[in-house]
Amino acid sequence: MSTLKRKRGGRLPEGKKAKKVKTVIDEGKPPADNIQENKDEISIPPPVSMGKWTNKERVLIFSSRGINYRTRHLMKDLRSIMPHSKADTKMDRKDKLFVINEVCEMKNCNKCLFFEAKKKQDLYMWISNSPHGPSAKFLVQNIHTLAELKLTGNCLKGSRPLLSFDPTFDKEPHYALLKELFIQTFSTPRYHPKSQPFVDHVFTFTIADNRIWFRNYQIIEEDAALVEIGPRFVLNLIKMFQGSFGGPTLYENTHFKSPNMHRRELRLAAAARVQERQMVKEALRAKKAELKPEIISDVTDKVFDTPAPEKTVKIQTEPPEPQEKKKRKKKPFQRNRKKMGSKKL
Amino acid sequence: MVIAREIMELVEEDELLSEESEDENSEMSDSALQDAFAKGLLKPGMNVLVEKPKQFANNVDAMKQCLADLKKDLPWVERLDLTNPPVEDVLAKMGGKKESESNGEVNANDDFQREMYFYRQAQATVLEALPLLKKNCIATKRPDDYFAEMAKSDQHMQKIRKKLLSKQAIMERSEKAKKLREQRKFGKKVQVEVIQRRQKEKKAMMTAVKKYQKGMTDKLDFLDGDERERNAPAKGASQKSKKTLNKKGPSAKRKYKDQKFGFGGKKSGKKWNTKESHNDVSSFRAKVANAKGPKGKKGKGGKQNKRPGKSVRRKMKARS
Repeated sequence: MSTLKRKRGGRLPEGKKAKKVKTVIDEGKPPADNIQENKDEISIPPPVSMGKWTNKERVLIFSSRGINYRTRHLMKDLRSIMPHSKADTKMDRKDKLFVINEVCEMKNCNKCLFFEAKKKQDLYMWISNSPHGPSAKFLVQNIHTLAELKLTGNCLKGSRPLLSFDPTFDKEPHYALLKELFIQTFSTPRYHPKSQPFVDHVFTFTIADNRIWFRNYQIIEEDAALVEIGPRFVLNLIKMFQGSFGGPTLYENTHFKSPNMHRRELRLAAAARVQERQMVKEALRAKKAELKPEIISDVTDKVFDTPAPEKTVKIQTEPPEPQEKKKRKKKPFQRNRKKMGSKKL
Repeated sequence: MVIAREIMELVEEDELLSEESEDENSEMSDSALQDAFAKGLLKPGMNVLVEKPKQFANNVDAMKQCLADLKKDLPWVERLDLTNPPVEDVLAKMGGKKESESNGEVNANDDFQREMYFYRQAQATVLEALPLLKKNCIATKRPDDYFAEMAKSDQHMQKIRKKLLSKQAIMERSEKAKKLREQRKFGKKVQVEVIQRRQKEKKAMMTAVKKYQKGMTDKLDFLDGDERERNAPAKGASQKSKKTLNKKGPSAKRKYKDQKFGFGGKKSGKKWNTKESHNDVSSFRAKVANAKGPKGKKGKGGKQNKRPGKSVRRKMKARS
């Protein structure tokens, strides 16, 4: 009976102390990570009215194969700030999406955040309510992880977040549905065994430019002085489905442009510019090559010609004004060309 | 027969869906086309295939139904969510609203404005939520002796702190360097001015001495030059002399050259060997060209530039 059975509500049997090795946080009595101190020396605050964990929300966060380091770190960060999350191994892309529902069921999760990477460039995120509920697919952009040095805030691991939404979320039905989904997925349930009893950070979801912007701020002062913790990303809604990872389409975003189309447009624009220049050159050449009609000049035409008046010769006595330097235009689409002699011996 | 029915269904479907008379499916088989013609769907002229505009799904009722199904009746304490517009932007109001927010929407391309908008939204939430949390006895401040694992490790926070400090140090250093540069420039200017003034004085003194030596002036006023400078009217005199100098401006030689050659730019064809310039013989002076060198002038000219002999010089010196 060396292993301690963790009881719901975090009450330990009399006379036994929680082992330090376990990362289970009971009653707000966490083990100190770096500081190995005697428990008697740390003054532990009396437990806030302990309750039972009733709101059983579990989120499964995992990804498909072929993700890059940034996505991996983002997932790790999300798992660390959401204590009610569970991890799973990478899913093979050959499997159909509805397999995810089975995975969720096995792990006993009722929400899922699935990251899918395509072409090693684009990242798509699925958020869904597992057995029957609605799901949504997003394109994720502008990812910044917790590890960025410019994001200087910090928060307790597993503390409960405040959620802040834009009033635009209440205006449209699809946004309202998304809001409900976000609330249920991102908010840590009360009295979750891995949660901390303090509320010291806030998630913001804002709608700008038809995209959803996510930020995470730490509350430093009671007068609402905030510092950003991270991670941060931008979600571009693609479609919403009635079922989990499938089902009839509820909503399709009219403003969404697939990244392939975007890249294609850039390439076409560049090609069009080159073609235009070529055409202009061709036209010039054709004009020059044209046989010009020979004009037979009549000698008597020059009879009434008078010499043109002499133009006044202009000489500059003052130095000319310095001209403004023309800035080189930055091209939106730059093709990577192999440079000669770039190989090192 | 089954095939025909399918095609008939196709025709019927098309009839229901197509609002435009031009919407004819070129992939329809001949029999289907015959049927369509019989029905009067085909009109004379060229029938062009036109694609229907893409319909985007927006099933409001189903979404509302889904929302009703999804909603869980949880007390606010479980969810901790708030919907609010951002706090009033005090700075923008003070600076005379720039109207950066068009119709209340934040401009996503202006990074600073956008981030400030998010920040203010979070602030509004915090200000609203804190009293509610207090009411529900949920703490937001953790006591100083509460040690727990943080989302970012201590090592990472140290790195962040070091980076901030280094940034500050770099800025300070650059500020110092800029100030020093400015000082040096100013100092250099002052130094140059002083040197120039001294050189001018020296020149003036030397010319005055020379004049006296050659007997052009017999006053020794230049020796008291410094005293006179210190008095006020001297300043007026120096200014006057400067003015007179400026009146003459650049010498005649300089003026002629400027007029002929100018300052860069196009020479306006003046220095080209064109037919006109070749045929232009206006600068030909027959006298100069045909003269056989200075004859009568030699004797006179020589004497003009010659230095007086020893006896004459002695006499001049004795006279002064």
